[in-house]
Amino acid sequence: MRNSAFLFFCAALLLGGSACSSDDDNTTTDTADTETNPDPIEVSGCSSSTGIEKIICLSDAFKTQLTSSQLAIAQRTYTTSEAAKWSNFPEALYGQRVGLDFGSMTSTQIQYAKALLKEVAGTSANEGWDELQQLLNADEYLAENGGGSDYGAANYYIAFLGTPAATGTFEIQYGGHHVAFANTYIDGVLVGATPSFRGIEPFSAFEWNGETNQPLVQEKDALSAMLTGLSSDQLTSAKLGSTFADLIAGPQKDANFPTTPSGVKGGDLSSDQKNLIMTAIKTYVQDVEDAETFITKYTTELDDTYIAYSGTTGLTTTNDYVRIDGPSVWIEYSCQRGVVLSGTHPHSVWRDKLTDYGGN
Amino acid sequence: MGQIKLTTVVISKGILMATMFVLCLNAVAHPMPNSVVSLSVLEESISGEVKIPLLELESAIGRKASELNTDFFREYFTTHIQAVSDNQTWRTEIESLSPVTDTSPFVGEYQEVVVHFRLTPPDARQLRHITFKYDAVIHQVVTHRALVFVQYDWSNGLQDESESEPLGVIGLDVPSGKIFPLDVHLEEGSWINGVKGMFLLGMKHIREGLDHILFLLTLLLIAPLTIEKSKWSGYQGFRYTLTRFLKISLAFTLGHSITLLAGSLNWIDFRVQYVEVLIAVSILVSAVNCVKPIFFKKEIFIAGGFGLIHGLAFSISLSHLELGLGSKLLSIVGFNLGIEAMQFIIMACFLPVLLISKWKAYPAVRTAFAVFTIILSMAWIAERIATKENFITTYFNSML
Repeated sequence: MRNSAFLFFCAALLLGGSACSSDDDNTTTDTADTETNPDPIEVSGCSSSTGIEKIICLSDAFKTQLTSSQLAIAQRTYTTSEAAKWSNFPEALYGQRVGLDFGSMTSTQIQYAKALLKEVAGTSANEGWDELQQLLNADEYLAENGGGSDYGAANYYIAFLGTPAATGTFEIQYGGHHVAFANTYIDGVLVGATPSFRGIEPFSAFEWNGETNQPLVQEKDALSAMLTGLSSDQLTSAKLGSTFADLIAGPQKDANFPTTPSGVKGGDLSSDQKNLIMTAIKTYVQDVEDAETFITKYTTELDDTYIAYSGTTGLTTTNDYVRIDGPSVWIEYSCQRGVVLSGTHPHSVWRDKLTDYGGN
Repeated sequence: MGQIKLTTVVISKGILMATMFVLCLNAVAHPMPNSVVSLSVLEESISGEVKIPLLELESAIGRKASELNTDFFREYFTTHIQAVSDNQTWRTEIESLSPVTDTSPFVGEYQEVVVHFRLTPPDARQLRHITFKYDAVIHQVVTHRALVFVQYDWSNGLQDESESEPLGVIGLDVPSGKIFPLDVHLEEGSWINGVKGMFLLGMKHIREGLDHILFLLTLLLIAPLTIEKSKWSGYQGFRYTLTRFLKISLAFTLGHSITLLAGSLNWIDFRVQYVEVLIAVSILVSAVNCVKPIFFKKEIFIAGGFGLIHGLAFSISLSHLELGLGSKLLSIVGFNLGIEAMQFIIMACFLPVLLISKWKAYPAVRTAFAVFTIILSMAWIAERIATKENFITTYFNSML
């Protein structure tokens, strides 16, 4: 700043007082007709198709709603470097997301985007699409309760990395504060549904549009039940000595897994205890419609899957931490201090050691 | 071969910078930022400062840290801040522990602990080759990271606190579960680099010091003029202008060189605030004189006298340097030459402007400039007395 003081001074003296112009961003926010958090639309033209055909149909329906300049932003070429550009931070702090933000879309365009997300995210209550919608509500809530315009549905992004088609590779990438969704399809098959980030503030139940929202409490309850289902000896073995204030495999920490797993091994647990692990895993895996292949794989690998924790088993105290670490599956959950609100809030991520970004 | 090596160094440095940038970003974005370690390479030891978010420190020790100045914390940091060279452990001294409040755009205000430490190698020749074994907080809170910078290294020309260089990041290596120490290898450096760095710092000081420039320019504005009936006359010719121009400049240089030397060597003690106020007063006085002569023929003394004050301000940049007498004297010479060089460049820019004093409009231009300077200098005086921005300085800063 002082440097520009000198420049300003010289300019004022030598050029007879011409003022410096600042590079103010003159973008105006068009809020008049933009409701940034509408419900998904029913796309009648796609209602007869199923599976990958329906996903392609809904992708195309959304794309035809876009202007050519919007399409150029949303439809991208598949690269692993763009696939890795996700974050749990608000975009105002991260600033690297690719794709088209809801804030620059019309309400109808957002409805088409959401119709696609609803199809690929599945329909369980408080999971899948329902969870994603509630997480948008949570960010709207934050925006209105002290967070300001850096928060809210307008700051969520959707992108196609590669063109949705029955052959070739494409990823449907969607995310914003506390959310990352990444479905990668190769030749019409969902081969990777990760990295999948879920976090929320406020964590406690809140009212939005006349409904109660608490979409991640099921994850917390299932992970906590998995821990409290252990005997006291098992719990001692499962406890990690270190403290975790956040995740270790968060954004831009790809393939950041311990070489040697810690904690209690699934093979040493009873079938009831193993079921509790599987129930916890499902609260993440069932956030995609085509969950079965992952559930089968993780069930098969359960005996070689470790669970470990730090802090307390309640998972609502600052620095409470739990992890499921298998040959493929990696689920991590961290309870941390509130940022906008008081009280704690969770961050969590589901990764797959083999198929993150579709294995690319 | 040498070139290839150089490129590799540059690229890896670029990557390191980018990584540190991302980490700094994360430091901001994460609810609790990382620790920041700043090292200063001195002649026989390394002094350091680390800023640690209080909540992270409390997570690491598993309890509240209400009282910092205790044997527990001195021992804690002595254990967790270590340096090793050739299998010999350096001496670690904890010099101070204090709380500060910092702000981040994400979490707003938060508490930090500032630890000042000194690392002394058994042999001063080991000073630049260190295995830095730092793991405060990280030994327990494995998601925490420490960003390590070298902030000051005289003989490598690194003397400006705002230009610290990243050395690396210390944190848990997740695959191995280990916290690896940071190997630091600093270039040997030389006194030439030291003087060069000080020279550049001196230039920067004037370039960014609007108050010094304003003072000098208001004095020089009347160099082409003489007094007629208690008012400023018209242009008195090139030779006359040049002579006065050089005399005023020389007097200012002489004045500030004397106090720069005295202040840098800590021969005199003064309150920075008073000097800052006096500098603003000096600008006011010379601006008033620019409108109406109040000390004609004495500009040289004014330039010299107030030069003494400005020199004290310059010396603040040097007085805290922990250097031997030889290096310190070299620093003063380098810094002062930098100041003169920048001053010379500005004056060379400005001299042609004085020739417009031939114009009829010159009195109006001169008066307008002086009035602007009077208003600004009075606002500065108020700001520096109150140690608080006022609406004029706020407005002025916002225009820059």
